[in-house]
Amino acid sequence: MSKTLTISLLEIVGSPLCVASEDGQKVHDRISGAMREGKMVVVSFLNVTSLTSAFLNAAIGQLYGEFSADEIREKLRVHDIQPDDRGLLKRVVETAKEYFKDPERFKRAKRVAMG
Amino acid sequence: MKISLPEVRHDQAGFEALVQLFARTQDCLLGKIEIDMVKTSWFDGDMCAAFGALLYRLGSNLNNVVLSNIQTPVERILSKNGFLSNYGRVRIPDTWGTTIPYQRFDVKDDRFFASYIEQEFVQRPEMPKMSKGLIKKFRESVFEIFSNSVLHSRTELGIFSCGQYFPKRHRLDFAVADLGIGMKRNVNESLGLNLTAPAAIEWATSARNTTKTGSIPGGLGLKLLREFITLNKGRLQIVSDNGYWCLDQGNAVTAALPFEFPGTIVGVEINTADKRSYALSSEVDETDIF
Repeated sequence: MSKTLTISLLEIVGSPLCVASEDGQKVHDRISGAMREGKMVVVSFLNVTSLTSAFLNAAIGQLYGEFSADEIREKLRVHDIQPDDRGLLKRVVETAKEYFKDPERFKRAKRVAMG
Repeated sequence: MKISLPEVRHDQAGFEALVQLFARTQDCLLGKIEIDMVKTSWFDGDMCAAFGALLYRLGSNLNNVVLSNIQTPVERILSKNGFLSNYGRVRIPDTWGTTIPYQRFDVKDDRFFASYIEQEFVQRPEMPKMSKGLIKKFRESVFEIFSNSVLHSRTELGIFSCGQYFPKRHRLDFAVADLGIGMKRNVNESLGLNLTAPAAIEWATSARNTTKTGSIPGGLGLKLLREFITLNKGRLQIVSDNGYWCLDQGNAVTAALPFEFPGTIVGVEINTADKRSYALSSEVDETDIF
């Protein structure tokens, strides 16, 4: 069994426009499921032309409510992301870390993630 | 009921004209409302988003809406952008390609909205020559505005958009309006505060503030938009309830409108002559994101 799962945003979203929060949720569910199984996850941004914070908050920001920053740093990688999109993702990550500093929010999010 | 509409430009006075129209018609049910446009000597195309939202709301209350005495130049622009097609006029071709058509969306229409921006703006050869970085930022900005309505407005009647390009002034204006709960109620309910509408808009556009409480973080969309518009030397206007907020040349001003808008309008004006390379504004390494 492979230890690494590669996820293509283009394949999951079905479009180079990664803008909808709902599409971000689909991406999140795959990343989260794989990380819970102990896998490394590589998210490929190849051929993505547009991103929004709403999409990235749902896809990746949300992970900070389920996993520690150390776990995410260890298990998640991004590939083929354009320089300005990298900047946007960094902002989303920083915002998510700040958001989940509130322990109540973290507990609630964790409960939701665990079903 | 017959109501006269003055000129409607994309500025505070233009929004005041529209909220006045709402104030006079908000309780109308099963009636006939004639909007007399003989005095409407100018109508900025992007203001069709807010105007269309108000007329749609009137229609949802089973009113019969008639637009009368439309002056020829106004009729031409509102026919080109498809607005008047909703009110009994035939659409005319947009030969110079200066309009982004009027369109209504439902909250589930994120992808439809994205395709609309691609087809009606990004892929049209007659649209302004903008740098690749600027086109990308514009596209992302309008997606952020739309997402904001989807995530926060709780609108049941839809989201309305329209744009207009002004080639001589090198300006592109685009607006999104929703008929949702408005920023004041959203912010005050989330925080247990009692902010005025202008203060609620200022709060929502300020760094790190968010009304989100669930498992998905938020609070970035409007800040990104604010940063981009400041760099671009464009303009960002927000109307919600009776709050008016305008960021122009980096300076924000707020005002209270005489009446309320039943939702939120976000209007951006992009300086299309901007040569800044937004693509190179970030130097974050792929291994240093998380």
